[in-house]
Amino acid sequence: MPKLIIDDIPLEVPDGTTVLEAARSVDIPIPHFCWHPALGRAGACRVCAVKMLDGPVKGLQMSCMLPAQEGMVVSTTDPEAMAMRKGVIEWLMINHPHDCPVCDEGGECQLQDFTIAGGHGLRRYDGRKRTYNNQYLGEFIEHEMNRCIQCYRCARFYQEYAGGTDFGVMGRAAMVYFGRQQDGPLESPFSGNLVDICPTGVFTDKTARFRARYWDYDMAPSVCPHCSLGCNITPAARYRELLKVIARRNDKVNGWFICDRGRFSNQAVNAPERPRQALLDGKPATRDEALETLVGRLTEFLELHGPESLAIVGSPRMSLEGNIMAGRLRELIGAGALCYFNAEDDAERTMQAVSMLNGDNAASQHDVREADLAVILDCDLLAEAPMMALAVRQAWRNGARVYVVGRGNTMPFEFVTVASLADVPLTDAKRPVFISGIRHKGIASQSGAKLAFILDGPNAFGCALLARDQGAVPLSTAIAGGKVRGIVSFEADIPAEMAQGIRILAAADWRATETMQRAEIVLPATAWVEQEGTFVNHEGRAQRFRQVMQPGLPIKGLDPAGHPPRVHRKTPPGGDLLPSWLIAAELLERLSGEQAVEPLSGEWERLRGLDAEGEGFLFFINKQINSSEVQ
Amino acid sequence: MKRILLGYERAGQCLTFDEYSGNNGFAALRKALGEMSPAQVQQTVIDSGLRGRGGAGFPTGKKWSFVPRDLPGPRYLICNADEMEPGTYKDRVLLEQNPHLLIEGMLLACYALGVEHAFIFVRRGYELAAENLRQGIAAAHRAGLLGRNILGSGFSLELDIHQSAGRYICGEETALINALEGVRANPRVKPPFPAVKGLWGQPTVVNNVETLANIPAIIARGPAWWRGLAATPEAAGPKLFCISGHVANTECFELPLGMTLGEIIDGPCGGMRPGSRFKACIPGGASTPYFTREHWGVAMDFDPVARAGSRLGTGGIIVFDQTTCMVGATLNLIRFFARESCGWCTPCREGLPFVRHILERIENGRGKTDDIEILREHVRYLNYAFCALAPGAMGPLEGLLRLFGDEVKEHIVRGKCPFGNH
Repeated sequence: MPKLIIDDIPLEVPDGTTVLEAARSVDIPIPHFCWHPALGRAGACRVCAVKMLDGPVKGLQMSCMLPAQEGMVVSTTDPEAMAMRKGVIEWLMINHPHDCPVCDEGGECQLQDFTIAGGHGLRRYDGRKRTYNNQYLGEFIEHEMNRCIQCYRCARFYQEYAGGTDFGVMGRAAMVYFGRQQDGPLESPFSGNLVDICPTGVFTDKTARFRARYWDYDMAPSVCPHCSLGCNITPAARYRELLKVIARRNDKVNGWFICDRGRFSNQAVNAPERPRQALLDGKPATRDEALETLVGRLTEFLELHGPESLAIVGSPRMSLEGNIMAGRLRELIGAGALCYFNAEDDAERTMQAVSMLNGDNAASQHDVREADLAVILDCDLLAEAPMMALAVRQAWRNGARVYVVGRGNTMPFEFVTVASLADVPLTDAKRPVFISGIRHKGIASQSGAKLAFILDGPNAFGCALLARDQGAVPLSTAIAGGKVRGIVSFEADIPAEMAQGIRILAAADWRATETMQRAEIVLPATAWVEQEGTFVNHEGRAQRFRQVMQPGLPIKGLDPAGHPPRVHRKTPPGGDLLPSWLIAAELLERLSGEQAVEPLSGEWERLRGLDAEGEGFLFFINKQINSSEVQ
Repeated sequence: MKRILLGYERAGQCLTFDEYSGNNGFAALRKALGEMSPAQVQQTVIDSGLRGRGGAGFPTGKKWSFVPRDLPGPRYLICNADEMEPGTYKDRVLLEQNPHLLIEGMLLACYALGVEHAFIFVRRGYELAAENLRQGIAAAHRAGLLGRNILGSGFSLELDIHQSAGRYICGEETALINALEGVRANPRVKPPFPAVKGLWGQPTVVNNVETLANIPAIIARGPAWWRGLAATPEAAGPKLFCISGHVANTECFELPLGMTLGEIIDGPCGGMRPGSRFKACIPGGASTPYFTREHWGVAMDFDPVARAGSRLGTGGIIVFDQTTCMVGATLNLIRFFARESCGWCTPCREGLPFVRHILERIENGRGKTDDIEILREHVRYLNYAFCALAPGAMGPLEGLLRLFGDEVKEHIVRGKCPFGNH
């Protein structure tokens, strides 16, 4: 634990901390381009120069390369250090096109920030600028090489961190080029991180090109809904349109990055076919009419068939709040079935995972990155939970052995395929993790090993917690019982064969699903970015997502045909939507005549103050709460 | 003077293995394997005071002593034959005349270091040298001097040649190691130094061709005898000086280390060409600051040259006469360095083209008074580049500003090159 002084601030930092990190820990920003917390030091850009006034090292030094040592006296404001940093910026700006007005990075550009901070203003180089040809890198990422400042972050991320092989650095001297051997879509399922990691506008999000500036965005901390890992994201929206998704740091979960599915698969939020209008037997109605009719028809149905003929169906892709309210609705009605999962094996496996995990043995992505042995059971990681594959790769890069039991698909790390778990040598592993795929069954608890169950849905864990408490059954079991004649569905996908023989079907969802098409009463809901809520990820980590944007038809200002009707009203067109949990609450109130209790009450109350920008809250069925996790 | 490096010379032909063996070749190897322990060989090299001939002049025995002997896994020796310093062609002459001397030197070094697999990293253009080495290695294999259990000593060695894809930066030892591993030839972070963590993460020594070629004589004749080949008590051994420029004889000479610049130019070089007067020279390859007439008496040895403000470098002396525009000469060198930057760090990648641009505009008569200050800033801050390429490139520029400031100003004030180059 060396003690040192930076700009007159004495501090003590852990061994191995660089001077740059030490300075950051006391909020002294030192400009940097090539250094990145997840990629470590490179020493390429030379912009993080500081002056060592006293101690074991003297003179001008690169703070990213220098481990903090006892007795160092560091100045970040020394004239020589400032002159060096200014000089580096001048060099970097020699060839930069200064095209900020037409660059999507403008306003969220590290190069802009550090150019201003560095003090370089007057151009002394009057020669020609170097120019490059850009490449077509697919439909998601725009390439503009002229803006490049050669920090090597992209190549280091793509090849070293993510294991991609089709993108890298070519050429030498002042003609270094970052791209592919030839035009073509980037192959890595993590390519979108180039957009986040590039300190300037070489890689920008093509799907959001020329749509908004940083200060225009509606932004809030959110959680990715595309698999059970719960990676942290920042969606950015403008004019009621979700424009793009940016990775958000959570060291316990996704670290600094997200996968391309999480980043580029959110078209459903803006989809024109998205349900925005309540429907009664296929005809438009107000939400009030729809709800009133539903109450009427439900009452009639219950009298005729009895409550045991009704199933209330929640979903692993709905927020915890929505699923809690679905449970309350069932309780009130005394409905025959509460269902959170469709298939029996899915429900069983998820429940098993939930019952096995506790505060000691649940493996986060962080735990996987730190593991020295990873065993993957029956899991196509890149399809089921891509970021988990990236986490395993980091463990593998640090020397962990990786075994795949059963068949192994191509993954971004080397592994040994074994026939059964018995063939994996576990004895000398200090930090082993087991990763079990969605289809894998029957894993036994491994003493000393951490477990990661890849589940099906962003809130599958939360649903299993609820299912266990409330005696929910899989929908297939309920249907097979032969009694169910009516279904009230919340964000659930009910297979056609299960809906046969159903007399009444009411559905609330924000997606245009088949279930919504079949339903006689359709209640459109808000997407996760248009509401606040909670997902419980695969390890039992409850994470809060905040409302990013207002619901409603996007304003297509430049396209008159696509513009919503120009009429005056209180709510935006297509924006008269409630979150599913509020739709359930409305239904509760109308059925009971009493005010509904907010969902996060009772044992869920401790999730009320959950900080969306924290690390989340580990919530296990056996109530073992790791209090240090509470933010 | 007794020549130990070029003494085997046969005009225009490469020495055969039999000729070398018949002329006391491999005697040092037999002596070492028969009579000396590896530690004794290393100590003999330390005692000789041999300093690296590749440019930096680091004591060779000391470099060897940094190699940890207790780490598991192999150790490696790499011979750096990526000779690309402008004005330097000594290794080429050596290898085109006699590859066996290097092979014997490497055998001795590997014996001392406990290396069983060594590599010779040869510059792309050195086809003949590579071919000579291939034949020499094959002959040594046939004679039982390479391979398993050499001369029954239990010592084994395989020697492989790697022909570089070609770049100046490959001469930097960590970039060379990267190139040998098949990745981009960017220099690596130091520490760890190659002696601890080099080729494929194993302890690795990188030595220059000429350095290794000196070792047979050191072992065969003893360190004291070898030291005595130098011209001064301070210096140790002989040095290959490769001469180019406006002198009568432009050749590679094997000379005692420590001869003065004047003695070299007036002696073996045969003085200046008719009509030429000495104006300046590059004393040790393109990355060294200039010498002028005032340095005539400097002993051409590592420390004396450093005390005089330059570096002995590779011993590649380029002599300029009175007709040479020093701005133009420096621009020529900077163009080389700017082209040969690996592109890793900003000062080198962007700073060198900036310097090239400024020198071009001065040479073309469009220079501004402020340009000299810009050049000075570069001399200062290019020292903080990632490796030694950019600081080396600033050698001649620093010399230009220090020794020929008036000539630079004259370009700017008159708005044209006074030598009529443009």
